[in-house]
Amino acid sequence: MIGYVEGETLVHRLDPRTKLFVQAALAVAAFAHTTPRGLLVLSTAVLGICRLSATPVARSLRSYRAFLPFLLAGPLIEGATLGAPWFVPADAATPALASYRVLLLLLVSTAYLRTTRVRESRAAIQRLLPGRAGVVLGAGVGFVLRFLPLLRHDLATIRAAMDARLGSERSLYERVRLIGVTGLRRVLARADRFALALQARCFAWNPTLPRLDPTWRDAPAVAAGVALLVWAVG
Amino acid sequence: MSTPTDSVELVGDEVTGNVARAVLFAAATSATAPVDMVHPLAPNVPITLQTLWVYLAGVVLGPVWAGVAFVLYLLAGLLGLPVFAGGNAGLGVLLGPTGGFLFGFPLAAMTVGAIAHGTGGLTAPDAVSIPRLVVALLAGTAVVYAAGAAGYSLVQAIGPVAAVSAVVLPFLPVAGLKVAATVAIVRSDALIAR
Repeated sequence: MIGYVEGETLVHRLDPRTKLFVQAALAVAAFAHTTPRGLLVLSTAVLGICRLSATPVARSLRSYRAFLPFLLAGPLIEGATLGAPWFVPADAATPALASYRVLLLLLVSTAYLRTTRVRESRAAIQRLLPGRAGVVLGAGVGFVLRFLPLLRHDLATIRAAMDARLGSERSLYERVRLIGVTGLRRVLARADRFALALQARCFAWNPTLPRLDPTWRDAPAVAAGVALLVWAVG
Repeated sequence: MSTPTDSVELVGDEVTGNVARAVLFAAATSATAPVDMVHPLAPNVPITLQTLWVYLAGVVLGPVWAGVAFVLYLLAGLLGLPVFAGGNAGLGVLLGPTGGFLFGFPLAAMTVGAIAHGTGGLTAPDAVSIPRLVVALLAGTAVVYAAGAAGYSLVQAIGPVAAVSAVVLPFLPVAGLKVAATVAIVRSDALIAR
């Protein structure tokens, strides 16, 4: 699992909004230039970002191995034909490039996740999205972060209880139904208590946010992002 | 540094309750993501219960707040919480081969909510008639899989037929099972007096 890693690299010190911008610009450029040459340029950029943020390339890719079947299926299905040569490499080329593009984007987002605290990301969202939508979504992300371990634990308890009663011998339908009924009951009970707690603590439309201070260090990163966008459009 | 002196503007009770429920549904979907079961027909296809929460959110929260719940879910994943299947996160996953399904979640939750509750305000979830519920859930399923296939076809640069055979057909039997389970859950005692 990939999460924040304490560090002092250049990328750690950038403003989270700058990092989100560069990431988005790189994604746009990758979709606009899914050619061998375009991807070569982007690979250099991505490897540079990984180097600057101390992101281990091989280990990060290994953590995404669940995607492998999907990445391989594209070129294989598109290249396969019913009948003599059985496999046409030319047809598989475009999906293969697309699969490679996915790997590049996964690496860039890994670099972001390893260098940015969720708290900083939340502040960035609340500043980027104006008005009440920003407050609800910014605060909501923070709340999800806190409830995630609790609900994981709830779910693990439900499964352990099912297993203790030979639940694993039941049909798939029966297991899904049991997890759903018990899970929903817990979710609604927690939501009621949480709403009460929010009211008690004056959940407000104008909360105090952590400070975000862009510095001169952000300038080259923003420039690189703009360059990527110009390249993508041009 | 100055101390802000403007007064605190409290969020109303109804919105607070809905925010709390939306957060809990988003977190429940995330908590379900790493839980997988083995597909009876194809052991290499992981089954996660995320769509179960998409359906339940639509039925329980109604179209608007179910939509909010899953926008929150996507945002949490974008910002790095390990909420996607397999405990993954980040923009790379959203733009990856299964990203279409993720973007389909808020749309599907809103579809389920809109069909189950209609346009005249929310009805109690257990008061929605069974045929209406089934139609709502099937429409939601269609939205999720259409979005998933479209995303896969776009990201992997392959044709629609190949995309459907790769990411829709293997999962359809389990999708039917989840729809049936959702009907049973909505009619169970978990929702009484809420």
